[in-house]
Amino acid sequence: MSRDLPNPGWGPLSTLPGNPLMWVLILSEMLVFTAFFALYAGQRALDPALFNASQQQLDPLLGGLNTLVLLTSGLCVALAVEAISVGRMQRTRLWLGAAMLLGLLFCGIKLIEYTDKFSAGLTPETNAFFGFYYGLTAFHFAHVLFGLALLGLVSWRTSTENVETAAAFWHMVDLIWILLYPLIYLLR
Amino acid sequence: MTALPGTRRLFITWVMLMGLTGVSMVSARLDQTTDWQTLSLWSVALVLVATAFKAHRVLMVYLNLRAATPAWKGIFIGLILVTLALIAAGYLAGRFNLMG
Repeated sequence: MSRDLPNPGWGPLSTLPGNPLMWVLILSEMLVFTAFFALYAGQRALDPALFNASQQQLDPLLGGLNTLVLLTSGLCVALAVEAISVGRMQRTRLWLGAAMLLGLLFCGIKLIEYTDKFSAGLTPETNAFFGFYYGLTAFHFAHVLFGLALLGLVSWRTSTENVETAAAFWHMVDLIWILLYPLIYLLR
Repeated sequence: MTALPGTRRLFITWVMLMGLTGVSMVSARLDQTTDWQTLSLWSVALVLVATAFKAHRVLMVYLNLRAATPAWKGIFIGLILVTLALIAAGYLAGRFNLMG
């Protein structure tokens, strides 16, 4: 029976695909972001007028574009895992490279957005909404940077386990952004 | 190594994710460049449902959680649903002035 499990010897984690410790990280990161989202939702409930007025200063189209970019980079990473599973090293590196380029594009768009807001005098100290906006998106941005470093590392030290682990982290970054985008940009 | 989703399934999922992002953006009336209005409750519901479905697809296909036991699937999907419920609760409480 244990021979059929992806990670025999890991107890309850043994049925999870890929590196079990990455799943522990994914779960803990999701819990941390859920706590922040709940805090944001609570603050919004206390002062919806301020949050609505502040949300108008954002560019939801840029946020949407970044969603499309990040989800496409997620596809590239998943295709890299498919490629490494059949031993196609060159193709794996190609998909990882494409994912990294898209990740950099995400960062570029985000930096344009930050620059635009800062030049309009909208800083984390402007009000509670912008405190959350910068706090949540910058925390996510830090994860994107870490994910890019991981993808770079596994492009160099390419193995099935390494690519699977980095891919799982990158998909978690996708997942958090999927929840962050409507919360900050869309719901008004 | 666990059975992977396969290239075809990955591409189908990507198309769905792109489409659902489009649905969210249209539901949120991003075409309103000058007249920024409060969303209808239907639009809010559609944005949240599209978000839930996107998160589900990323978990099941990109992260390949479909290969795990129902308990693990339940934990992760449950957490996504709790997160979205909290977001919805905060939004509705503000909209209907439930916090005074």
